[in-house]
Amino acid sequence: MSVAGERVTSAGPLFGEAELRRIAHDALRQTDGDAAEAVIVARTGGLTRFANAAIHQNVASLEATLRVRVARGTRVATQATDRLDPEGVRAVARSASELARLVPENPQFAGLPAPRPIPPAPTAFAERTASASPLDRAKAAKLVCDPARAKKLRAAGFVSTNVQEIAIASTLGTWAYSPETTSEVQIAAIGDAGSAFAHRVALDFDALDVRGAADEAISKAVRAQGPRELAAGEYEVVLEPYCVRDIVGFLGQQLTGLAVEEGRSFVGGRLGQRVTGPVTLVDDPFDPSGLARAFDFEGQPSDRLALIEDGVARAVVYDSGTAHRTGNRNTGHALFPNAFAPASAMHLRLEAGTKTREELIRGVKRGVLVTRFWYTRWVHQLRTIVTGMTRDGTFAIEDGEIAYPVKNFRFTQSYHEALAGVRGIGRDLELLLPADAFGIQAASQRVPALHLASFAFTGVTAH
Amino acid sequence: MTWAHERDLARRALDTARTRGAAYADVRFVRRTTEDSLVKNGRIETVDRGETFGFGVRAIADGGWGFAASQITTAAEVDRVAALAVEIAQASALTKLAEPLLSPVRPVVAEYATPVEVDAFALPFEERIGLLVAAEEALRRQPGLRTTRARYAIQREEKLFLSSEGADIVQTLSECGGGIAAEATGDGELQIRTYPDGLRFQNSGGWECLAAWDLVGNAPRIAQDAVALLTAKSCPQDVRTTVILTGNQLSLQCHESCGHPIELDRVLGSEAAMAGTSFLTTDRLGSFRYGSEHINIRIDSTSPRGLGTFGYDDEGVPASDGWAVKDGVFVGYLMSRETAAALGTTSNGTMRADGWSRLPIIRMTNVSVMPGRAGSLDDLIADTDDGILMDTNRSWSIDDRRLNFQFGTEIAWEIKKGKRGDMIRNPTYTGVTPEFWGSCDAVCSEGEWVMWGTPNCGKGQPGQTAHTGHGAAPARFRNVRVGVVK
Repeated sequence: MSVAGERVTSAGPLFGEAELRRIAHDALRQTDGDAAEAVIVARTGGLTRFANAAIHQNVASLEATLRVRVARGTRVATQATDRLDPEGVRAVARSASELARLVPENPQFAGLPAPRPIPPAPTAFAERTASASPLDRAKAAKLVCDPARAKKLRAAGFVSTNVQEIAIASTLGTWAYSPETTSEVQIAAIGDAGSAFAHRVALDFDALDVRGAADEAISKAVRAQGPRELAAGEYEVVLEPYCVRDIVGFLGQQLTGLAVEEGRSFVGGRLGQRVTGPVTLVDDPFDPSGLARAFDFEGQPSDRLALIEDGVARAVVYDSGTAHRTGNRNTGHALFPNAFAPASAMHLRLEAGTKTREELIRGVKRGVLVTRFWYTRWVHQLRTIVTGMTRDGTFAIEDGEIAYPVKNFRFTQSYHEALAGVRGIGRDLELLLPADAFGIQAASQRVPALHLASFAFTGVTAH
Repeated sequence: MTWAHERDLARRALDTARTRGAAYADVRFVRRTTEDSLVKNGRIETVDRGETFGFGVRAIADGGWGFAASQITTAAEVDRVAALAVEIAQASALTKLAEPLLSPVRPVVAEYATPVEVDAFALPFEERIGLLVAAEEALRRQPGLRTTRARYAIQREEKLFLSSEGADIVQTLSECGGGIAAEATGDGELQIRTYPDGLRFQNSGGWECLAAWDLVGNAPRIAQDAVALLTAKSCPQDVRTTVILTGNQLSLQCHESCGHPIELDRVLGSEAAMAGTSFLTTDRLGSFRYGSEHINIRIDSTSPRGLGTFGYDDEGVPASDGWAVKDGVFVGYLMSRETAAALGTTSNGTMRADGWSRLPIIRMTNVSVMPGRAGSLDDLIADTDDGILMDTNRSWSIDDRRLNFQFGTEIAWEIKKGKRGDMIRNPTYTGVTPEFWGSCDAVCSEGEWVMWGTPNCGKGQPGQTAHTGHGAAPARFRNVRVGVVK
């Protein structure tokens, strides 16, 4: 794209590094304060949604946000706009500057972080994804809908392609830029008495395994029909990676300096101590199989960190403000500025084990295979107790075999305590994205299937 | 805004869509202005303003739907986006099984604005932030707190809607909300109290919506509660008892277990992969016993202060009111033009989009549990021999058909022989929707009824956040399963 305000035609990045640098520096130049920072997130995406085996919602959008933070001494204010034309840039810079005069002082403000060198990271941009057309996505959706219908199942889900550029600049000299792409397919194959789910993510649309996802969801849905009721209680479980994503995501929320500061982290005061069974959870911004990005939303280099190493709590992540306030080192994990979660691990990977999915199941005498968790919410953060439902493919395991489908459970379970009973870890890691993938794509995860000794199912539903 | 320039662009988009083959098209221009401030632990944590402006075009072509949106508001971009919406619609037709059919609506030229007493954006900034500073300071006077917060959020959304059928609607919707929160930690416990409802309380209107709650005056009580919860009794484990829910908790119970299952798109399978479906299938309309005779739930986009109050929805259908549940019987859905046509009726105007960049989908407007005749909360407690009073949501979860739910609240109290007794920490309750509502034997009277708000309702792919209203008063439920967290 040449100039903000003109149409997008390129299969490359939306704006490109030079254009975003110009816009960011235009904004910074027009601020009036001691220091200023500009964060730009530009994205375009297409999402083709299907239900009842036909496309029913099909969308595309071009969105860009420029967020200017101005500091006058310890008075700090931010203003955001999606107008990247000269008038919009001028207005947001002036408004943020004016607001910074009015805001009361924050004596704990340490100033904007000084620039630090950012090491190179593997590319996260695939041109084929950027060039995907509505027809490409519709054809992919048809690859799911038709075979589902042939099995008398109703397919629902989506195919999406997204392009995102992130740029951060400051008057202190910070400059960071990353173009990224993702493509994604999610499928629920639904029969009259049971359903199943599959999910794939790829940076390159050509590498998106739509057929594989369709096969997985459809074949599992065929087996999921006519579930029996299994009584609630504690069961040995095998959790598909879609469930493990949820566990890793919730624990990740508590592996931050802010969570420790606020007294709501299960690792607070326990760094160096055993907090789970023998699992290793890392945040790896340089993972070539993930959505690699070497910097955070303050333009600081992101450290590769072992957060939990073989069950022992080792580290939490920081942004500049929390690091300063708590006397710790900034690890470069600031999120897009917001009031409640200033930092997060954005490249979580639960390290792989050695077992195939079938070997994990074979290791269970009597238990439950869970495909997906649904509507999970904190019940007690400090104890990492979460409640939620199983969904779209829950099966009884007997003598190491998938025996029959079962009705869905409600669970109420401490996630880190569940990991204390790790009996097996899958050897294959699945790249997955947080549930809402169309907004700012700040994070990705790579997770395996898990075999856990015990999981607390506290209720049963009717289906 | 005069909208003159945008109206020209919208007409251009409609012309382009028609020229490219659209059988139907509509265009929305939306400008959303926000300010969100948070004071925490004696410091100004964030003062964050934002403005977003753009447009979206929705089209039907070759029997498929398409939607495209952009934040660039030039004529060239309008042409591109309108043509793209049609191209997308034509691609959608690749899997077409049936032609889209829209129920009729009379296209109108109209304007609507939220009634506002005190324009929050026009207040001096010092006055807005001053309220937070004072309220948060009042919390911190209580020893033993780990974290204290005070927040406000204000929003104004201005929008223009034009359709190829001739509608031309301008609306200005204003919202304001906020609250205070106190957290205490110790002995492996983390306890929180908030007022009036998390930090997410919000209403349609101006600054008066927040000012009415007296954050400063209520701060000492909330702060004391948070500390006292650390040493309060644990919730009884896995017992069945009588539960009284305060209005703010009942409002979320209604949102999750009535508001969502009456969304007709869920019922017809449109949300099956994500939000899920519904137990309130079309064969149950008009006959299914959803709750006891005390349960009357209204769908009303005209209620004062409701976050789901507007003049017209994002399909140009006028605001309306009607019943979802009448005397305990399920009688009404939230509908769009297309889903209403599938039922052979007309839309009740519940299509809402999250700004300009998202497709309108069925969302709750104001779905409210109407007041009963049980008097005040004190009257209801006095009328209860044994049970638990639960107040202010802390945790919520429900299955994909909206049957099996589990909620936790911030605080509870024993009720013994008609009196509020000891405080209880970590309270939870669980149940199945129609059984739960069927166990209601009392709803407090109009004097206890408050229009609460849920400004964080997620739905759709791409994800959208809706702001929904839920009026509720305290109510009593019998034989509820309580306590799943030790």
